[in-house]
Amino acid sequence: MAPALLHAEGLTKRYGGLVANNAVNLSLAPGEIRGLIGPNGAGKTTLVNLLTGIETPDAGRVWLADVELGGLGAHQIAAHGLVRTFQVARIFESLSVSDNLLLPFLAAGSPGGLAAGLARVRELLALATLSALAQERAGTLSGGQRMLLQACAGFMVPSVRLYVLDEPFAGINPVVKDTLIGLIERENRNHHRSFLIVSHEMEIVRRLCPTVSVMIEGAIAAEGSLEEVARRPDVIAAYLGRSAA
Amino acid sequence: MIFSAELLVQTLLSGLMVGVLYALMALGITFIYSIVKTINWAMGEFYMIGSYIQFVAVHFLLGPDWWWLAAILAAGGTFLLGLILEPILIKPMYARPLQRRDDYATVVTIALLLLLRNLAVALGGPNQYRPESNLPVVWIGPLPQEGARVAASIFAVLALGTFWLVIKKTWVGLALRAAAQNRVAVQTAGVDVFRLDAIAFAIGVALAGFAGALLAPLFMVFPTNGAVTTVKGFEIIVIGGLGSIPGALIGGLLLGLVESLGAAFISSPYQNVYGFLLVILVLILKPNGLFGERGREA
Repeated sequence: MAPALLHAEGLTKRYGGLVANNAVNLSLAPGEIRGLIGPNGAGKTTLVNLLTGIETPDAGRVWLADVELGGLGAHQIAAHGLVRTFQVARIFESLSVSDNLLLPFLAAGSPGGLAAGLARVRELLALATLSALAQERAGTLSGGQRMLLQACAGFMVPSVRLYVLDEPFAGINPVVKDTLIGLIERENRNHHRSFLIVSHEMEIVRRLCPTVSVMIEGAIAAEGSLEEVARRPDVIAAYLGRSAA
Repeated sequence: MIFSAELLVQTLLSGLMVGVLYALMALGITFIYSIVKTINWAMGEFYMIGSYIQFVAVHFLLGPDWWWLAAILAAGGTFLLGLILEPILIKPMYARPLQRRDDYATVVTIALLLLLRNLAVALGGPNQYRPESNLPVVWIGPLPQEGARVAASIFAVLALGTFWLVIKKTWVGLALRAAAQNRVAVQTAGVDVFRLDAIAFAIGVALAGFAGALLAPLFMVFPTNGAVTTVKGFEIIVIGGLGSIPGALIGGLLLGLVESLGAAFISSPYQNVYGFLLVILVLILKPNGLFGERGREA
């Protein structure tokens, strides 16, 4: 087996008496598209926050390839190639659409020069069907377009190897969903980028993710294909509620 | 009082000239707030430091011909000081729970204010200094204007223009605009938000230092000379709206005009009162300021 691209070991996060993540272990191979599913409140977003340096774990360690991420700031983790999106798209509303994309590229020191960055901006805007809006203020975009713009901004980090998408398909229309799926598949195929996709949209997870990890009550309860994990009684119980068990 | 068109023009002109300097001060306060999310109560002390640098540079080193170079040194000096002080004093604020940040920043910057004022007393005594200025009186039409005043407002406009260029045209400016909207998202874009904080703080205090240097020949150099300008700066923030850059600019010009019109056509001893009347009026009609979007977060 190839060395893991992402390796998290024993990640634990408590909020007062609530254990949001309880000794979570997670490994992803280079080039893998992994789904992360689980009922609401299972700790998926907490895990994403711990992996990407938005929150600090109480215990546990994370490696991206051979770099240990513990103690690094969110911007340093992004520079190492682990980027993320948020459930509610965090775009910069008063900046233009293209400036939203240019920022991560400039922050990385503009590798290959500004022209390369602008070319990449044009490429991504075309793929996201946002080209006509390049000079508009990002605040004028619709919910789905915001999600696409946020996703594209992550692809502008030149070193991105693992892209964590937190609920990217929630509340957006089917056309935008297909555009985003196409973008993910293309970046995965052409640039061998890995994805960890948190989603409740089982149809999309089935289509994109050969393997899913199921999170229940702060721990990874099962891993396997969506069909495999969907047959497990503990997973069914978690989704349907305790009484079904 | 005899009303004349000439007096009106002169009054408007001098109001605008002092207004741009007020705007410089207010811009510094509002800009730091928009990025670092904290109010720097020691703003006037950076104005004071700028004025001392101006005096020392003109009086001992460069001579009055080079006053403009001295002013640039004052801006550069206060910029460096801000760059050094922010990570030491303000950054630890972000290691604390959210609700204590405002208290922390308030206490720390007021402590800095006292330290810097007393440092100025210790080093220069309680005396008033004035850097020499050999700028000739400028005639605008039939109206005479003090040379140092005209020069100060021209350079303040240049400083505002430079600020605009940096914010709109450089990548640091882009990062600063982004950070003003969302501190977390800017980090996930790969930007070191704490470095931006230091840069924003340094730019903000440099604007105050530059204002202090430009106004030194007019308003004198002494340990508490920043107090009045700080009050004016905060008046403008209330008028224009905290965190709003256009608010700082327009609020500054408005305050300058109101003070100057009031002094000329009503009564000059009450000059400082007119600004406060404007503040009260704005608080009644638009409590968030002319360009304010929302109140402070608790």
